[in-house]
Formats: sequence, structure tokens, C-alpha cells
Amino acid sequence: MSDRLRQSATLLGFALIILFFAVRLPDTFLTARNLLNISQQLSMLMVVAATMTIVMVMNDFDLSVGSMASLAGIVAAVLFVADWPIWAALSAALLVGLLGGVFNGILVAVIGILPFVATLGTLTVFSGLALYISEGTTIFGRDIPAEFSGFARGGIPLEALGLERLKIPALSLVAFAVIAVTWVLLEHTSFGRKLYAVGGNREAAHLAGIRVVRVRLIAFALTGLGAAGAGLMFAARVASANPTQGAGLMLDAIAAVFLGMTMTKRGEPRVLYTLVGVLMLGIIDNGLTQLRVDSFIREILVGLIVIAAVVVAHVSKRRGK
Amino acid sequence: MKHLLTSTIGALVLATGVAAQDIAIVTPYLAQPGAQALIEGFETRAAEKGWEVNTIDTAGDVAAVISRMEDAVTQNVDAIVIHIDPLQVTPGLQAAADAGIPVIGLGAGNDPLLVTNVTTNGYAMAAETAVYVADRIGGSGNIVMFVFDPFPPVQIRGVVADAIFGNHPDINVIDRVTPDVQDGGIADSRAKMEAILAANPEPGSIAAVWAAWDQPALGALQAIEAAGREGEGIVITGIDANPQARDAIAAGGNFEASIAQDFQAIGFKTADVLEETLNGNAPGVPSIYVPTQFVTKANAAN
Amino acid sequence: MTQLAFSDMSKSYGGTPALADVSLTLTGGRVHALMGENGAGKSTLIKLLAGVVPADEMRVEVDGKPITLRTAADAHAAGFRFIHQELNIVPQVTVAENILLGHAFPRRFGFAVDWAALRKQASDALAMLGASGMDLNAMAGDLAADDKMLIKIASALVAEPGQEACLYVLDEPTAALTGAESQKLFAVIERLKARGAAILYVSHRMDEVMAICDDVTVLRNGRHVMTVPIARTSKAQVIQAMTGKDVADAYPPRASAISDQVVARVSGDAGRLRSLFFDLKAGEILGVAGLAEAGQTELLRLFLGQGRVAGGAEYAGKALPRNPAEAWARGVAHIPQERRSEGLMLEMAIRSNIVLPHLKSAFASLRAETRDTLAMGQAVQMKMEGPEQDVGQLSGGNQQKAVFARALMGAPKLLLLEEPTRGVDVGAKWEIYQLVRELSAKGCAVILTSSDLPEILGMCDRVLVLQDGKQTAILPTQDLTSADLVTEFYDTESTPA
Repeated sequence: MSDRLRQSATLLGFALIILFFAVRLPDTFLTARNLLNISQQLSMLMVVAATMTIVMVMNDFDLSVGSMASLAGIVAAVLFVADWPIWAALSAALLVGLLGGVFNGILVAVIGILPFVATLGTLTVFSGLALYISEGTTIFGRDIPAEFSGFARGGIPLEALGLERLKIPALSLVAFAVIAVTWVLLEHTSFGRKLYAVGGNREAAHLAGIRVVRVRLIAFALTGLGAAGAGLMFAARVASANPTQGAGLMLDAIAAVFLGMTMTKRGEPRVLYTLVGVLMLGIIDNGLTQLRVDSFIREILVGLIVIAAVVVAHVSKRRGK
Repeated sequence: MKHLLTSTIGALVLATGVAAQDIAIVTPYLAQPGAQALIEGFETRAAEKGWEVNTIDTAGDVAAVISRMEDAVTQNVDAIVIHIDPLQVTPGLQAAADAGIPVIGLGAGNDPLLVTNVTTNGYAMAAETAVYVADRIGGSGNIVMFVFDPFPPVQIRGVVADAIFGNHPDINVIDRVTPDVQDGGIADSRAKMEAILAANPEPGSIAAVWAAWDQPALGALQAIEAAGREGEGIVITGIDANPQARDAIAAGGNFEASIAQDFQAIGFKTADVLEETLNGNAPGVPSIYVPTQFVTKANAAN
Repeated sequence: MTQLAFSDMSKSYGGTPALADVSLTLTGGRVHALMGENGAGKSTLIKLLAGVVPADEMRVEVDGKPITLRTAADAHAAGFRFIHQELNIVPQVTVAENILLGHAFPRRFGFAVDWAALRKQASDALAMLGASGMDLNAMAGDLAADDKMLIKIASALVAEPGQEACLYVLDEPTAALTGAESQKLFAVIERLKARGAAILYVSHRMDEVMAICDDVTVLRNGRHVMTVPIARTSKAQVIQAMTGKDVADAYPPRASAISDQVVARVSGDAGRLRSLFFDLKAGEILGVAGLAEAGQTELLRLFLGQGRVAGGAEYAGKALPRNPAEAWARGVAHIPQERRSEGLMLEMAIRSNIVLPHLKSAFASLRAETRDTLAMGQAVQMKMEGPEQDVGQLSGGNQQKAVFARALMGAPKLLLLEEPTRGVDVGAKWEIYQLVRELSAKGCAVILTSSDLPEILGMCDRVLVLQDGKQTAILPTQDLTSADLVTEFYDTESTPA
């Protein structure tokens, strides 16, 4: 009973927030245009948070995703400047993400450094690399191919549905695809089962024949890959690459996973609930902007909402025991 | 605190009140002093006009600027003001253009999707201080330059100064230093200058220091004073005329000149241009320049 | 002699009665066993005595005088002392401080700890146990398991002015001790008896209870079943009272012959394990025994790839597996001794726990996993609400059955069993022994470690004896007695007989 309450408290809060905005902003909030906008605005965070879920399932986390996102954007942009074809530059940037993730994985899983320390270190390394490669500058303008930034402005038109001049943004489609793949991976593959087992009890998983080191290594690699993908989406959206532009993604992604964890049966991360967490953060941002709430106040409110959700979940879980 | 409370309550409770003109200002840089002065100037003039202004800071997040611009379009504001390079927020500009909402640059940059951009002329500021230095040393001597090419608005200042010094055959740029700015720029500039002074011990071997902004100029001044070489007549100039620089200039030492952008005036001008635009009289030029003020000992205290 | 009468004890959790109308009378100088399967109400009863949970109903009389017992402080003031099964001492602190932990430290000048007085109190307490030889300044973490237990008992014995202890409650005190160490504990219990204290002794180990207790009370499903003097009952009768079933003997006998096919062969050294020399036939059950930490676990885990044998070692005709993953893939199943920390993901579903080593295809099928879980759950007679229930919500015996279900699911060729019935009640024990016998009958070889010597003797065909890592004997269990086996644990050549 109390488990039910705990699980639904956050969702109930979310529903109330939506209701509040819908009443306050009757003409603009619950419109197809605004909702499509929100999905596009959140697409990068969705990708980072979904792949962050993969490591958080194992009770690990990755602080370096933000700087990896920046680095991937810079790598792609620098290669654009060097006249690489778009597909080659993007593949190289994604490869950098994969390798960076593997590096995190080696530090954490093979050498055995705490994820907090290891990824705090690589956060600085990736960020330094991004600054070094870009010489600290923002790469923009003619250096960014129009096809690349044009992708972020494209999408599937919805005129057939009678929605004039609206489209499902391409970035949203990418984000949904990443979430779908992550969902299949975590919920419907043996690999996903093993991830949750490692999170449940690492020693027991090892003795039960799970190759814990390999599983953790792959998980960190996927998180790195996701971060790089989000970095490229970011670069396409702003048609530029700045060595620090992804920095804000990390905390939001972790916050989204935590929000999601307050809604699951056992308090474990599940990617679909992570998606709900991302939507909560994004909808609060969108609604409060429309309500013209001071941006500093907005930050305070978002932080308090995350804390409130986690506190409610924690307290009711303890009561339930 | 009281301000925060009233603005929150005001926003949450009275959110649907319709003002004469709804304006959204979006920037990732609100934490920086220059941006604050620009926006305060705009807000002051906008308040006089009775406009409802919503200032949105995205705390350094460029993509969020696009998101917040889209939100403002959804909310159907009357105009959007941005303080960011417009090339980085093209989707936001496009969304506004599609909805027929004018976007104006406040110390931003040029873009065909902007109504106009109100700013100061960065090239002109650098030219004024560089020419001052060249004149003060009689067109001859060794010069140390402090530049910062990674940041475009500062990078152009260095280019202009290069051209002016290059046009004087007897001026020799002995070092072109890019200081580490993570500590604010003064400390590292001072360390770099101390090294240069040590390498050039002869009195008169350094005639001037030209800095692309004030912090390196202040660092160089500290280095010169610490080395006891303030009597050699080394001329220092900066750009921006921040309060610390004004104090140094007013004190009458080696730091002789800087140049002030009148951020408040840029804010005023932007509001005025926006009002004209909303009245159907768009300026029709890509940039509008607000005059700068050359600061020397004579007017530094103002 | 002190008479402690606890009557009409009742306690319900959320409407479910955990203890209903149970009465218990304890007499000074007698050891009273409290027995029952897991969930029978033993823990609840102890918690009521300790005042850590409030009773719904309970009357307590000490020598005919009623007292209140609502808080832990009440219990302490009444002279009740509790020694629990976990050896939760503070390892980084000295023996003396551990003994005084939970008591007011003696003080000088009102604030400074009087270290001399503290050591005196600690050594007095140890002296009562006949353990004056222990180094008070040693770090508690460096001690052997039996000495740790002594510290805990000593802690309960610390003299406090005006507060003579009249009842000691020992909750599974031998769970972490080997046979020889348990003997020391029993000597201590004799001393406590001699001091006139009443002792309530909770244990799953039938033989222990029969040996050292004077009376026994049996609980089943929260209700009182019987109280009799030990002298007037039998093992079978107690087990029957606990389970409500007739149990002919504690261990099912071997029903099938051992084949000639050799499953594993080891000879050589591996780390601290020396002079290993044994083989294992299909269907055979080999026990590994010795004093605590003589290398039993290390020996078993050689087959999981933990440690390398310098010499010859093979399993199923090839080299030993190099890691647990390879071991499971090659038909080795393992049941670790620390069920909670090494065996189970407690906050995960029973299903997730059971199918884990058997995930073979890339995509997982919830339907197949559920089907397998239900089938295995039935095979091991596990009581569960359903495959999605958290394994941590099961009783100890059912948790152990979940670990067995996992091991059995792959139809193993070699089963490694570490302390298979620790903390498991009698009924579940019998079922677990049955499972081992069935596996053995199917040709699965079993290696078993246990600190419960009757279990080794009752279940194993041969027993391998380790002395500080060295294999010193391998004996058929037929006609072997506990006493014979314990003798083998000690290095008789260097100790003059």
C-alpha cells in the first residue's frame, strides 16, 4: 500500500504541475506546438539521461557526460573545418565518446577506482581536451555544414494531420529512438538483466557467473557513446561547437534518473521513468518561463522539486519497511 | 529577498495579466557584469515605457537559449531581445521569424534574422587606444600586447591594434601575450609581465603595454610597480574602463587610458529602437553603434 | 533460585499474529532451549524480552513480583542480557573497549576515561568465562571467531553495581563457530549456570540442544507447542513438535550407488592450500572440514577459478575453470556461505535471482523466466507469493531454497555447497538434504563445507580434513564419530599427547 503511494507520489505531483500550467496558460501550454517544442528542447537531455540510466542501474554513475558531450561536438566541428565528410566526422566524434566511455570503464571496473573520483577526473580531462582541440574558441558559422545544422531544424511534417507548419522535430525522433533502444537493452536482453544483478549485489553477481568487469566496461562505454551523441545533437541545434556547451547536461541527467527512481517498484532506475523525470524537468522549465518566473527562482524551484520527490520516496520507503 | 518573493508570487499568481508590451530578454551570460549593465539599462527604459519585461538567464547553456526563445514564441510575446551571438541560436530566430515576432540584438552580433543589433564598435575602441599608445611614445619603441583570441569580441581588438602598430615602422611588438583568464586575468598577466620585465632589464627597453581589456593592464601595472620601474614612463592602456581601471587611471600612474562602453546607453538605445520597430519604423540597418567614451586621468573619476 | 515467569505474550504485526498467548517460565541455573522453525515466533519472543518492540500483551514476574518491561532500559534494569548471533564487534578497537561497549565507561574527575578501571572490569568479565589469558589490548578484529564470541559474552557479563544479571539470552551463538569453538562456548554456559543465572538458548542445531540444555520449549506458527525437560524427550519428538511432521532421522540416507566416473581430480598446492590430493566421482558427496578458516572455502572456490593449482587439477577432463562465469557455463553450481552478501540480490525478484547464471541468449524472455522460476520453486518446495516477490522478503530457509533453485536450474555436474543449512530451520534443512541426495542420485558430484559436524557425517561419503590450509587426511565417514573428526582437526604431531 505504502509502496503504491511512494511510487505514485511523484507521478501525482507531475500531474498537478501539468494541471497548474494548463490552467494558468490555457492558450499556450497544452498545444501541439508547445509540446513538440518541449520534446525538441529535451531531446539532448533525454539521450544523456537514458544512457546515464545504464550505469546507474549498476549503482555507478558518470560525471563526465557533460564534458564528453562538449568534446564530441568540438571533435566533429574541428573535423568539419578539416573538410571531412559529415558522416566521417560524426562517426569519429561518436568513436571518441565510445573510447572515452571505455576509459571510464577501465578506471572504474578494471582498476577499481570509485566512479565519483574516476569520472570527476575524466570530466576535467575531456573538458581540457575540448578546450585544447578548439583552442578555447567557439566553432561556428561557415565552418559548420548547413546539412548538419539543417538536420536539427528538420523533421516529419504533420500537415497530413491538419497541423499546419508543425513537424515532429528530427532531434526528438533521435531521442525517442535512443530511449527505445535503451529500453530494449535494459528490459529485454540478458545484458540488461546482468546490469541489474550487478547493481543488486556485485559480489553475488560475480559468484553467479556474471562477468562483472566486462558488463561494467560495456555500460560505461554506452554512456560515453550516448553523451557523444547528445553532444552532436547539441552542436547541430546551436549550429556551433563550444568547448563547454554540454556542461549543464550532467546534473540534469542525474536528477532525471533520481526522479525516475522515485517512481519504480524497488527504487531502481528504469529508463521509461527516467524519461518521465526528464519531462518533469523540461515541463517545469517551459511552464515557468512562460509564466515569466525569474530564472534564478526557477533554478531554486527545480532543485526543491527534485529534493521533495526524493525525500517523499525515501521516507515512504522507510515507513514501508 | 523581498524582490525575489514579490517576483515569484507575482509571476505565479498574476501570470496571466496582459501588459501593454510583452518583451522577453534571453541570454546565457547574465552572471557577467557587462551583460547585467546592458540588461539593466534596457529594463530601466522599458519600465519607463510601461513594458512587461521577462529576463531569462540560461546560466551558460546556449541550447537552452533557443529553447527559451521558442517558449517565448509559444507565449506569443511582442518582441524578443537576445544577448548572445545570433549564429548560435538560428533555430530560435527562425521560430520567431515564422511567428512574425521581431528579435533585436543587445550587444549581440549581426544576423539577417535580427531586426538590428545595438552595440558599440569594437574595432573603433581598439583603434582609439592603439593610436593613443602610438602617439604617446612618438611612434617608436618596444610594445607588449595582451590579447585573447579565443573570444571573438576581444580577438577583433587585437587585430586592429596589430594593424596600427604594424603601420609604424619604428614600433616593435616584442611580445603578444595570451594570459590565462581562469583566475580573472590579473594575476597571470602580472606573472607574465614580470617575466617580460626580467628579460628586458634596461630602462626604456619597454615603451608601452597595450591590453585588449583592463585586467591584463592592471596586472602589468602591478608588475611594473613591484619591479620599481614605474619611473621609466611605460605607457599602459586597457579597454572597458571598469571601476578598478578607473581608480588606477585616476591615480595618475603608468595606466593612462582606457575606453568605456556605455552599457546603460546601449540598453536605452535598444529599448528606443525596439519601440520604433514595434511602431512600424524598423531601423533598416544591421547594426546601430552607441558612442564610446575615452577615459584618461582627466575624466576617470566621473 | 530465581524464577522468571513470562505469561500471555502476544504480538501482531499489521494484523498478522507473530506470537499468540505464549508463556515461558525460566529457572536460575537451568539452560532452557527455545526451538522452532523460522517464522515460528522465536525472534519476536526475544524482542519482547529485550523490550525492543512493545508487546500487545505480556506479564512478567520475577520471583513472583510483577515488573514492567516496555523498553530496552527496563530489560537491562531487570538484569536481562542478550547475545546475538552476528559477531558485531568493532574490529578497530581493543578487546577491553569492545567488552565495555554499551556500558558507561568508568571515569576519573567526572570526564576522563579511567583506562585502568576499564581494563579491570574487562578482565574481571573475562575471568568469569575462564578466559583470563586474552590480551586486553589486542585489536578485536584480529581475533578468531570464538574469541570474538567470548568478547560479546564478556560484554554481557560486565559487572554493574547493583545490577546482577539474572537471565542470559543466547540467540544462535554457535552459528559462526566451528565445532571445536562451540565446545568452548558450552564450557562458558556451564559457568553461567553455576552462577545461578537462567539461560535461554536459541539454536537450530538439534544435537547441541540435546547436549547442553535442561529444558526445551517449542514454538510453531507463533504458538506454544510443548515445554519438557530434555531428559524426557528425544530429537525426533522435538523435530516433530517443530514441524508438525514425523521425521524419521535428521539426514536422509544414501539411496544410490556412486559411479566410477571421475569428475574432478586435484593434486598439488594452491596458495595457502598445500598437499591437496583428492579425486571426486560422479554422484559422490565430499565433505571438507577443519577448524574455522582452515581453507575450506578456498578449496571449494578453486573450482570457481579463484586461485590456481600448482600441480595437476582437472574438472570434466579439462583444466579448472578460470572464473565463475566459465564455471557455471561448464556445469559447476555454487552456493556461497554468506547467503545475503554473496548469494542473493535481496532487493530483486526471486525470478531475477534464480535465472541469473542461466541467461544464455541475447534477448531475455520474461515468460520463459517466469516458467523456469515456478518450476524450480516447485522443485525445491519454496514458499513464495510469486516469482516477482523480492527474495529478501522470504524467510531464511526459503532464501536458501532460492539459492538452491538457482544452482539446480542448470542441472549441474558439480555442486559446491558452503554451509548449506546455516540459519535454516529443521524442516527446511530436511528438504535441502533431500535435494542434495536427489542431485547426487542423478550423478552430480558435491563438495560440501560445514561447521556442523553431524551434517558432514550424515551427508558426506568421505571427508577431507584441512589443518591451516594443509590436507592432512581424507576419511570415509562410515563409522566416523564427531569426536574422531574433531581430533583430526588438530596437529597431533606437534602437540604432546
